[in-house]
Amino acid sequence: MRSEIIDALRRVVGPEAVAADASALLVYECDALPLFKRRPDAVVFPANAAQVSEVVKIANRYNVPFLPRGAGTGLSGGALAVEGGIIIEMQRMNRVLSVDTVNRFAVVQPGIANLAVSQAVAKYGLYYAPDPSSQMACSIGGNVAENSGGPHCLKYGMTTNHILAIEVVLSDGEIVRLGNTAGEPVGLDVVGAIVGSEGTFAIVTEITLRLLPKPQAVKTLLAAYHSVESCSQTVSDIIAAGIVPAALEFVDNQTIQAVEASVYRAGYPQDARAALLIEIDGLREGMEESVARIVDICNRNQAYEVRVAGSDAERARLWLGRKGAFGAMGRISPDMITMDTVIPRTRLPEVLTAIDRLSQEYGLAVANVFHAGDGNLHPIILFDSRRPDEVEKIHKMGEAIVKISVDAGGALSGEHGIGVEKKEFMDLIFSEDDLEIMGRVKSVFNPDGRLNPAKIFPTRRSCTEIGRATTTDTAEIGRRVASALGGETNA
Amino acid sequence: MIIDGIAAGRVLRPQSVEELADLTRSGSDSLVPVGAGTNLEFGNPLQSADCAVDLGGLDRITAYNPADLTVHVEAGVKLGHLLKELEARNQTLPLDPWSGPDATIGGLAATNAQGPFRAVGTLRDWIIGMRVVHADGRISKTGGRVVKNVTGYDLAKLYTGSLGSLAIVVEVSLKVRARYQKTATAVARFDRLDDALAIVNALRQGAFEPVACEVTGAPPAVWVRFGDDAQAVDWQIRNLPPAEWRVSEGDSEPAVWEQLRSHYHGMGPIVARVVAAPSAIGEILDFAAPAAWIVHAANGIALVAVSSPEDVRRLRGKFPVIVEKAPREMRRELPAFGVAGVELRIMKDLKRAFDPAGRLNRGRHIDGE
Repeated sequence: MRSEIIDALRRVVGPEAVAADASALLVYECDALPLFKRRPDAVVFPANAAQVSEVVKIANRYNVPFLPRGAGTGLSGGALAVEGGIIIEMQRMNRVLSVDTVNRFAVVQPGIANLAVSQAVAKYGLYYAPDPSSQMACSIGGNVAENSGGPHCLKYGMTTNHILAIEVVLSDGEIVRLGNTAGEPVGLDVVGAIVGSEGTFAIVTEITLRLLPKPQAVKTLLAAYHSVESCSQTVSDIIAAGIVPAALEFVDNQTIQAVEASVYRAGYPQDARAALLIEIDGLREGMEESVARIVDICNRNQAYEVRVAGSDAERARLWLGRKGAFGAMGRISPDMITMDTVIPRTRLPEVLTAIDRLSQEYGLAVANVFHAGDGNLHPIILFDSRRPDEVEKIHKMGEAIVKISVDAGGALSGEHGIGVEKKEFMDLIFSEDDLEIMGRVKSVFNPDGRLNPAKIFPTRRSCTEIGRATTTDTAEIGRRVASALGGETNA
Repeated sequence: MIIDGIAAGRVLRPQSVEELADLTRSGSDSLVPVGAGTNLEFGNPLQSADCAVDLGGLDRITAYNPADLTVHVEAGVKLGHLLKELEARNQTLPLDPWSGPDATIGGLAATNAQGPFRAVGTLRDWIIGMRVVHADGRISKTGGRVVKNVTGYDLAKLYTGSLGSLAIVVEVSLKVRARYQKTATAVARFDRLDDALAIVNALRQGAFEPVACEVTGAPPAVWVRFGDDAQAVDWQIRNLPPAEWRVSEGDSEPAVWEQLRSHYHGMGPIVARVVAAPSAIGEILDFAAPAAWIVHAANGIALVAVSSPEDVRRLRGKFPVIVEKAPREMRRELPAFGVAGVELRIMKDLKRAFDPAGRLNRGRHIDGE
């Protein structure tokens, strides 16, 4: 990148808040999706919206791509600088600006970690509901960009249901505030359109989010099964009984083994073929009866062990295993890819069987830990990145899992986003017209395409993107991205 | 057919999405999508109605999968009909718009219509996907048919509440929830507004989880509804903060809310939706001095009856205000949303991106369009 651009950036954010040398940039060459890598030309660390705006204006002046980045925990490559350029890293903007305990909302900066918000308001008996598994690290700004989910979305909805207002820097550098503290759209719901646009519409610099009062009572159960089918049937029966659980999480044996061998050890029964983590919350009154109904349903489905957490510490321990499952995989495999697809919940048994078959066919182990209540699968493919044949295989296997989910009437992603990971699969779901309409909306917000380019849309749709691939083969895309890594930047 | 004071040049009643797409593709005249016509006083004045598109012919529930908690309906399906189908399988959608059971799902989505259940969300929160017909006759979809999905841009957020000005909504996919095992309603009247607000405050600070919580007047009254397991509902009713509550449940409950719906329909000539916060309710009512009001107390959204456009302009000096209902002649000088600046520019750009020729519901949505 030309030194005059770097100098201009330094003048805006200060010399210490610009990284431009190769070693410093290394850490920004990917997010939590390590399959795709591209080093940015510069990373800036702005302290406020005005600085973000100035950085954006510089990027536009020099025709350089730019994109925001939160904690880099995203799993779809949303924070990957596909075409190089400037990464605007939000970690310095990490404060709670205000909390309104009466009206139950908080105003926060985008770089704050998801869990830190709940911790900051816990003393008022309030919390922020969406809880991605990465919530200790992932940033609220990233959550807004990806419309992140989490186990408790089953009852409480996704990020989009909890964002009341935002301040954003538009792709031309203009700063605008959208929405209101009641979360009531006035005119078009522009906030609703920006949430989940994967950082391609605007850069969020301040978020007003809804806080909820902590439920009066919470009950967490663990039910262990000898068969995946009876575990799945329990989920169906709970829904059919009209119970609205706060969370309904599935862990398979592979996951249990990994968790129990790790620091996240939760005391899950290690001989279980599958287990369910079930949580209900609400008023204390009637809670015991609901627990009894759930236990009864589990027993009727041949659960061989049902454990009801008797204390907050026990509850926390059960959740530690679930939330630490991804981290725990390191105990049993050097590398992993966490997938994210959605299927109609009733298709769970057959889709899990199909994934199991693929696992055997490709000779790669798969761990399943997912949000069973809403059919949001997270097959974790375990592999060894030092073995090129395995890397090749995971691309193919990943693609096969996506296709199985789509064929079952599902969706490409439930909470991780499309990013670069799944953009070549968009044709499986959407028609030319569907994508063209989405492209028009993108053009309203991002007419020059400099903001977070080469995301979401299949490559061949845009001549600015790498390779002009006409394939949906991720391995091929991966090779093209890899070969582009050595290429010149367009800056 | 007269829509917002304009006689439609012709009225089409397509029987299928494809027929609607063909009709749209072959013409270039202005189009006005119409559902049950229950909410036509909302929006900026319509400028042109060469052709009214009556969506009543698209009235099929195309798929209902209770075990997946999803239902897929055409735009012309009436809310009352849908709720009956859902309730037969012990499921529901907490939606009770003022326009009542005859309103269509397409119309409710287009207006993002709401009622007392606003406390637990709006239709926007239940929509998981949409199919729409565009001004050029193309059919497109957004979202999908599963309850959780971040595949592609969430254009349903834009279509919802856009008054049919971006595209014609033809099919809506919704997630549904288990029917409340029990609901119960308690209503109390008060001599002073402050006493009513104090009760609302006590409700909000206690362990209550109301599915509706309305402050109405004049005279002041608090309407609160609970929906949950029977024990949880009974506990909340038993522990209500002290007041002269009249409690209804079972068969007597719907009639109570029907009274509030009549109250809404008696409000006018202008109904302004003032968007604030729960703690601002007293201030709004003080400032607006409305003849009649309904406040979604849990959300801090107040529907106030005022008499002149000047009253709305005064309110807009302090709060965002949507003109929810007003006679056409008043709406000529009173933008429906009062949006300005960059936000308005974005909305106009979006309208142009979807409907470059301005065929759809011309003049209706974006202020000053």
